[in-house]
Amino acid sequence: MYFQSFVVISLLVLFNYAACIDYDGWLNIKIEHTINCGSEKYCSRGNIALKSIRAGAAVIDQIQFNKQHIDELKTLADIDSFYTIRSLVTSADNSKGTEFYSSVKAKAFLDNGLSDVINAWVLPNGAVIAVSFQVTNSSQPLPNRASNKINSNFYLRYVEQAPVPDTATYIQKLEREREAREKGDVKDNKSFLAKYWMYIVPIAIFVMISGASNPEPAAQGGR
Amino acid sequence: MRLNTKTLINLSVCIYEDQIGKFDWRQTYVGRIKFSQFDTVSTAKKIIVATEENVLAALNLKTGQVVWRHVFESASTGNIQLLAITDKVVTVSGSNPYLVRGWDSATGVLQWEWSLSLENDEQADFSEWWVQNDLLIHMLPVFGSHLEVSMYHLASGQNRGYTSKLPASWTRESTCVLTPPYYTCISGERGSENLISMDVTSQAVQLITRPLSEYVNVETYDGGIGAVDGSSVIPAFTVDDKKIIMIKNNKFEMLTTNVGDALASVALIDMANGPVVLQAWMDDNQGFTMTAHSVATGAELPELRVTDRNLKIPDPEVSSAVCTKSNREQLVCRVLISSGDDSVHLMQQGGRVLWSREEALANVVAVEFVELPVSDLDAAIESEFDQKEGSIWAAFSRRLQTQFTQLQTLVQSIQRGEGLEEDAPSALVRDYFGLHKIIVLVTDVGKIFGMDNLSGAILWQYYEADLDTEGVVVFTRRTARHPPHDAYLTVVGKQEGTGNGLIISLNPITGTLIGERLLKLDVQLLQCTLLHRPDNEKLHALILLDKEENVQVLPRSAAPLVENMFMYVAERNTARVQGYALVFNGQQVEAIRTWLVQLGGSAGAGHRIVVALGKAPGERVHSPGRVLPDRSVLYKYVNPNLVLFLTEGPDPLHKDIVVATCVDAASGAIVAAQSHRRARALPHAVHTEHYLAYLYYNDKHRRTEIATLELYEGKTRWLPAGAAFSSLSSERAPSVERQAFILSGAPTAAATTVTERSLTDKHVLLALSSGAVVEVPWVYLEARRGGAGEDGVVLPAHAPELPLGGDARLNYNRTLARPAHIHAAPAGLESTSLVLTTGLDLFYTRVAPSKTFDLLKDDFDYYLITVVLAGLILATYSTKYFASRKMLKQAWK
Repeated sequence: MYFQSFVVISLLVLFNYAACIDYDGWLNIKIEHTINCGSEKYCSRGNIALKSIRAGAAVIDQIQFNKQHIDELKTLADIDSFYTIRSLVTSADNSKGTEFYSSVKAKAFLDNGLSDVINAWVLPNGAVIAVSFQVTNSSQPLPNRASNKINSNFYLRYVEQAPVPDTATYIQKLEREREAREKGDVKDNKSFLAKYWMYIVPIAIFVMISGASNPEPAAQGGR
Repeated sequence: MRLNTKTLINLSVCIYEDQIGKFDWRQTYVGRIKFSQFDTVSTAKKIIVATEENVLAALNLKTGQVVWRHVFESASTGNIQLLAITDKVVTVSGSNPYLVRGWDSATGVLQWEWSLSLENDEQADFSEWWVQNDLLIHMLPVFGSHLEVSMYHLASGQNRGYTSKLPASWTRESTCVLTPPYYTCISGERGSENLISMDVTSQAVQLITRPLSEYVNVETYDGGIGAVDGSSVIPAFTVDDKKIIMIKNNKFEMLTTNVGDALASVALIDMANGPVVLQAWMDDNQGFTMTAHSVATGAELPELRVTDRNLKIPDPEVSSAVCTKSNREQLVCRVLISSGDDSVHLMQQGGRVLWSREEALANVVAVEFVELPVSDLDAAIESEFDQKEGSIWAAFSRRLQTQFTQLQTLVQSIQRGEGLEEDAPSALVRDYFGLHKIIVLVTDVGKIFGMDNLSGAILWQYYEADLDTEGVVVFTRRTARHPPHDAYLTVVGKQEGTGNGLIISLNPITGTLIGERLLKLDVQLLQCTLLHRPDNEKLHALILLDKEENVQVLPRSAAPLVENMFMYVAERNTARVQGYALVFNGQQVEAIRTWLVQLGGSAGAGHRIVVALGKAPGERVHSPGRVLPDRSVLYKYVNPNLVLFLTEGPDPLHKDIVVATCVDAASGAIVAAQSHRRARALPHAVHTEHYLAYLYYNDKHRRTEIATLELYEGKTRWLPAGAAFSSLSSERAPSVERQAFILSGAPTAAATTVTERSLTDKHVLLALSSGAVVEVPWVYLEARRGGAGEDGVVLPAHAPELPLGGDARLNYNRTLARPAHIHAAPAGLESTSLVLTTGLDLFYTRVAPSKTFDLLKDDFDYYLITVVLAGLILATYSTKYFASRKMLKQAWK
C-alpha cells in the first residue's frame, strides 16, 4: 500500500548549533494524520528518522496522497477547517514516545501543492519540545502538479543557549581605558600638525588674509 | 522620532520636591489581624496589632493610621506566635528557632532580642506561649503523654534552669485549649467525656476534672472546645459553641450567659464593675449584633448592645476590647472587630464605627483601570452628532436645545460660586486629559474595590465570600464610552471548595451587579477570554472553555460572532501547552484542539511553567520598524499571538535550566527559544511590541539577571504595508537579538509603561525587594547598546550591569513594603502612563517616559507670557501709529 515516495535529506549548517547540544542520539518521528483513515482516528502519513540529533540529517519517508486523501482534504477546505497531524517522537531516552499535535488550514495546504515545513525543536538535553507543521508558500497549486506527493522540508531547530552578561570584555575595556589614562601623556605619538592644527590654522589664515591685502601696494609700486 | 531620541538621552525622570504627593499617593496596610491589644500603658493611645502578613504595627486609636510598622520575613521565619504588652511590646516570631523581641511601644524601636531553639523540632509547631509576671512561658504538649513547660526571664532570656515535665496522659490533639495558665482538654470515651484542666505554672500538679455532661448534652455534642477571642484576662473557653466556662479558684464555673449564635465571637473583658462577656455575630435578619452581659450577675448591659442592619461585617470577631469609666460615670468602650473580609473596625459603645481599615488591600491579586463616563452634557453633545437622520429643522432644534442646556449649566455654575465647587468631591466624569480613572482591585479574600485613582479613596466595595481568587482574571467588557450603556466589568474566578467557575459582573463606576450578576457555574474552567468583536450593545462576549472542552459564550447571542478565535491552555506542572481553535458550527461554538507542545520535553521531565505571558489585548504598535543610522529600516516582528513561556526544570548536566520559548498561540509554532544553564526562573516578565524581557536567578554567579529578546523581520517587510498578520500562513522565522544584563537589586515585579497610542517610549518598571520602583528605559536593555541609534545619536555604552539609579526611582523616599505587582494603564494624554504598585502597600503615580511633551510644565509662567504677549501687541500697534505719523510728516516735506 505505502511506497517510498519522497526522500529529502536536509543538511543544515550545523556548526553554529552543534555546541548547544549536550547530548547526541537517534530520533524517530512518526507522523500520523486524520484523513482517509477509515474507522480509526489517526493513521500513518510517514516517518522521519535521524541517526544523530547533532548532525541533523533526516530521512523523510511519506506516503503519496491518493484521490481519497485529496477529496477529504477538499471537504475540510470547504468548511475552512484544519488538517491535523499527530506526531510521536521516540528516542533512545524516550522509548515510550511523546506525542505532539499540529494543524494547518486544509485550504492552504491544498493551495500550496501539499508542501509544508516541519520544525522540530530540541532542548540541549536532546528532548524534543515541539513538532510543528506549517504550510510553505509554494506557487504550485495542486491541480497543476503531476503527482500528489507531499513536499516536506524538515528542520531540526535547537534551543540555543542564551547570552550571559558580558563581564569579561567589559573589564578588559575598563583595563584598557585605565592603561590609556596612565600612559596618556607619554603615548601621544600623533604628528606635530595633528596635535597643534587648531593653533596653526588661525595663524595661517591670518597670514593669508594679511598677505592678501599686502600685494596691492606692491602691485601699485610695480607700475 | 527626533523628539523621542532627544528625550532618551536626557534621562532624569525624577521629580522636584514640591511635586511630592501631587500626583502620587501611598497607602500602608498591615494585613489581616492575628493578634491585637490596646496599649493602655503608654500615654499616646494606640492599638498594637500583629497580622497574618507577619507585620507588627501600632495603629492610632483616633484615626486608625499606622503609627509605626515592622514588616517581618514573609516566610514562616516571620510568623508572629505571640503578642503581649507589658511595659514593652513583646513578640515571639519565627518557627523553631524562635525570636523573642521587645519593642518600645511609643516609637517601635527594638529594645532587646534573644533567640530560642527547641530540641524537639517535630512537635515545635504545637508550642504555646504566654507572658506572666515578667516571665515568658513556653509550653509544648506531647499529646497523650506529658506537657513540657519552660520559663524564661522576659528581657534577658535567662532560663529558670529546668524544664518541668508535667504528666498529662489525658491530652488529645485538637480537643485541647490553652487559657493561660490553664490547659484544658476534653478527654475520655465518647458519651462519657471529661473536662480536664490543669494550671501548668503551679508547682504541684493539680487536676480539675468534671464530667462534660454537667455542662452540655453529651449526645448532641460535637462542637468541641475553643478559647474565647480577644486578649482575655480571665481563663475561659467555650464548649460546643454554646456554653462559656471559666476557671475560677481552681474550679470550673459555667456562666449563666449562653452563646447567642453558633458563629458568634465571644470575648471576656475586664471592666470597672467586674468582667463582662462580649459577643458579636452577623445575624441574617438583624444585621450586625453585639451584646454584653455581666459575668457575675448574667444581666445584660444595655448601653453596649448593638444591632445595626446597615453594618455589613461578615464573620465578625472581637479582636480586643477595652472599657473604662469616664469622669461622668459613663461607660467608654472601644472594641476592635476584625471581619471575615479582612477589614478592621474600631467600634465604640452604641455601635458607632470610629474608623475602618480595609486590610484586604494588602493582598491585591488583580487590577483593572476603568475609564470614567463622560458627563451628561458631553454625552448629549455626542449623541447630537451621532444622529444622522432627520430633517434640517430637527437638527436645528436639537442644536438650540443643547445650546440652551449648556447655557443653563453655565448659569448654575456661576450661581453656585467657585469656592463651593472646590470643596465638593470631583464628580465621576471623564476629565479633559483622561487622567481620572477608577481602579478596580480584586483582593485575595474575595473583596472587590473601586478606587478613585487621583485620591486613592475607596468608592465602592463588594464582598463575595465564595470567590477563590487563585488565577482570577478581570475583563473590561464595555467601557463607559458607549452611553446609554453602562460600563461592564467581569471578574472570572473560582468557587471556594469546588473550584468551579464563578463569574461576577458589575458596573465598575458604581459597584453594582449588572448583566450576568453573580453566576455560579457547575463546571471547572480551563481558560477564558474576551471576544474581540463587540455585539450590537457594544458588549464584548466572554468565552469560557471548561474542563470537558466545551465552550460557553456569554451572552449566548454573541456565539455567531466567534470567528478566527484561538485559545491555549498551559498546564503549570507538566509544561504541556495545548491550542484550540474556536469554531461556530451554526448552533454553538466548538473548541477543536489544533496543537500540542511539551515545553519540558515530556510530562515526566519535571519542567514547570513559571510564566505564560502574551501581549496586552488591544495593544497598539506605533511604528512598524526602526530607523538605523544608515537610514535603512529594520522591521519589527509584531505577532499579536505571540506568547512567552518561561519554564524551569532539572537538567542532568547543568543542575537546573530555564528555557524561554516564544510560541505562536494560534498555530502552535515556536518562534524563538533560548535556555539558561544553572539558573532558576523568576515569575516576572514583560512582553510588548517586538520585545520581551524576563528575569531569572543565576545560580552560578548568585545574582539576578534580566534577559531581553528583540524580534525583527529584517530589512525587508514580509507583508505589504497595512496587510493583516496571519499566524497560519507565516512559516518564516524572525531574527532574534538577545542580550542579558546583571541587576543589582532583587526584583519582585516587572511591567512596562503603557500609553494611549504607543507614540511615547516604553520604559520597563521594576519593583525591588528594597521597596523601590525603578524606571528603566528600554535603550538600556537593548541588544544593540553601545552602537549608534537613529539620527546618529549614540546609545548608552555597553555595560554588563544595568544601572538602577536613585533618580530613576519613582517612589523617591516612600519605601514600599513587599511590592508584588506593577500595573500600568494609559491615560488620555499620550505622554502619560498611570502606574499602580500593589503589595503590602499601594502606591500610585504617573510617569511620562518621554517627558510631558504634550503638557505644559507645572511651573509654567503664565503671567510672564501674558505680559510679553500684551507688550508685543502694544508695541505693534504703537509702532504702527508712529510709522503712519512719520509717513505723514515725510509726505508734507
